[in-house]
Amino acid sequence: MKDNLISIKSVTKSFTKGKTTITPLENLSLDVPRGEFLSLMGPSGSGKTTLLNLIAGIDTPTSGEILINGEDISQLSRAQLTKWRAVHVGYIFQLYHLVPILSAYENVELPLLLGKYSKAERKKKINAALELVGLSDRADHRPSELSGGQEQRVAIARAIVHDPDLLVADEPTGDLDRESADSILNLLNSLAKDHGKTVVMVTHDPKASAAAHRALQLEKGQFSSEGHLLNTSTQ
Amino acid sequence: MLPFTYALRNLFRDPARLLQTVGGSAVVVLLLIAAVAMNQGMDSVLSSSGSPRNVILMGKGSEESLERSEVSIDAESAAATSISGIETKLGVAAISGEITYQAPIRTSSGKEEPALLRGVLEKALLVHTSVRLLEGTFPGPGEVMVGDLTHRKLGVEKEELAVGQQLYFGDSAMRISGRFTAPGTVLESEIWFDRNDLSSLTQRDSLSSIILRLENTNADDVELFTFQRNDLELAAIREDKYYEKLSIFYQPIQIMTWVTAALVGAGAVFGGLNTLYAAFASRIKEMATLQSIGYTRTALFVSLIQESVLATLSGTLLAFVIAYFLLDGRTVPFSIGTFTLTMTPSVIFTGLIAGILLGTIGTLPPAIRCLLPSLPKALRSN
Ligand SMILES: Nc1ncnc2c1ncn2[C@@H]1O[C@H](COP(=O)(O)OP(=O)(O)OP(=O)(O)O)[C@@H](O)[C@H]1O
Ligand SMILES: [Mg+2]
Repeated sequence: MKDNLISIKSVTKSFTKGKTTITPLENLSLDVPRGEFLSLMGPSGSGKTTLLNLIAGIDTPTSGEILINGEDISQLSRAQLTKWRAVHVGYIFQLYHLVPILSAYENVELPLLLGKYSKAERKKKINAALELVGLSDRADHRPSELSGGQEQRVAIARAIVHDPDLLVADEPTGDLDRESADSILNLLNSLAKDHGKTVVMVTHDPKASAAAHRALQLEKGQFSSEGHLLNTSTQ
Repeated sequence: MLPFTYALRNLFRDPARLLQTVGGSAVVVLLLIAAVAMNQGMDSVLSSSGSPRNVILMGKGSEESLERSEVSIDAESAAATSISGIETKLGVAAISGEITYQAPIRTSSGKEEPALLRGVLEKALLVHTSVRLLEGTFPGPGEVMVGDLTHRKLGVEKEELAVGQQLYFGDSAMRISGRFTAPGTVLESEIWFDRNDLSSLTQRDSLSSIILRLENTNADDVELFTFQRNDLELAAIREDKYYEKLSIFYQPIQIMTWVTAALVGAGAVFGGLNTLYAAFASRIKEMATLQSIGYTRTALFVSLIQESVLATLSGTLLAFVIAYFLLDGRTVPFSIGTFTLTMTPSVIFTGLIAGILLGTIGTLPPAIRCLLPSLPKALRSN
């Protein structure tokens, strides 16, 4: 039996606004083994972000179970989810979402301020994270002084600094040139392969998807096809 | 919780907004403490002007206005002989028949302003115990003495009211013979005449009131006298009660100052709300990101409040500095005297509370609007 970090069981998510109800995800199930780098593709509006938000505890499903590390997070309250995210998830956004008034170092520090770390412990973790993303020399820079690729690296450092099991990324390379995109993808790949993180990435880019271990195609709230199970090594 | 430095640095995100918030709250707080200091100053001067041991005998039916009151000259000696318990000093009974009259007074520079004139004999000093001569002499015929703050009431430089200078009541020139102090009372802004002078200048042969100083605060005997001699048509009122009544008369003015301060304050709050709405709206996504990292809405809310209170408290501090240099100790004339603006602890406290309230109440609606949308929606927003 595989060790699944994520186990989604018949999840349905619908939004109701006035008299119309949209159901972007219907009766969806998915298992993601620990340490897998999974890519989700699909047309716009197919529910990719919605699914990612459910996995990351940003949103709750209308019905169904979402087991992360054996814990059913679909039952948690908003406040409980907030606490849960602080420990278990790192979220990487398409547009980085760094806090503009804080330096790279301080941005990466944000998740640690929620835990019980001493200043020295924080420093060690932040420097390690910045080093992992190759930005040790940019610690004091503000986001406005960094390139897009560098900003995304800081965002990744921020997502991993508190050592969560799960990383979710919503089109992390969507706003980057090919070269920067490739290095971000290598980084995500290595986080899964070498550091045991489970990575779920949404992307529109087939090349990005090819960097993942497995690719799933989402269409009208259902998985239409399962892609390759390759690429466990980086080029 | 988010670190305090986050709130602090957010302040400098938009220097124009910071300036506006600090300046706006400074204006509001300054206005408010000016209003409080004014009302306190007025209350204070009125409440310390009357003594519970002094009783004023005035004409029946004119209790509200000393200037309209008429008391016959004979009543003074009648009261002196019939009422027991009047304090005596060196054999002289502390009873003073006086004429109070409000009239425009012209100074040698030609400036003319209304002032409160009091026609007295020297024994007036026995009842008005706060009055002390600072220089010169008690006024004789053709002379007046001025209070230490009379120049403020007349709106002239103090030198114009120096001993030896002239004042004009109509066409009559009066020489200033002395200057007196009566700390914290309305008397300090008055002009004291010789009683017979004022009597002939105003063409009246009656007194305005008779003031007696008793050995204690029990005024029953004075009350009794007004009943026994109802032919004199007198009414007795304790001096402290009289000034208390006066301050009720000034309450509408005080309410007006409050209302004005409140209106300007409300205007500033609404103006500030507008800029805050815009400022916080542009941070919805950032707030959502922080929530996705694991910060609670409460933590973010606290940080937003911290940010605003920091700005409004800086404004409050600025208001205090301005008030210290511009308001503290300033004397303000009003119809019957002059009061002093003082930065008392309660004035400071009021300003501080106002600064904090501006920061919190003004931030509440924009902060709530910024934190209310669901997390997925906020992350999606642009
Ligand atoms: N909060 C919401 N309220 C109502 N409808 C929503 C909400 N969030 C998402 N939807 C709808 O759900 C559907 C799926 O949206 P989602 O953002 O998951 O698509 P996506 O696959 O991420 O698209 P894209 O590739 O454009 O990012 C869309 O039709 C969208 O309009
Ligand atoms: Mg999306």
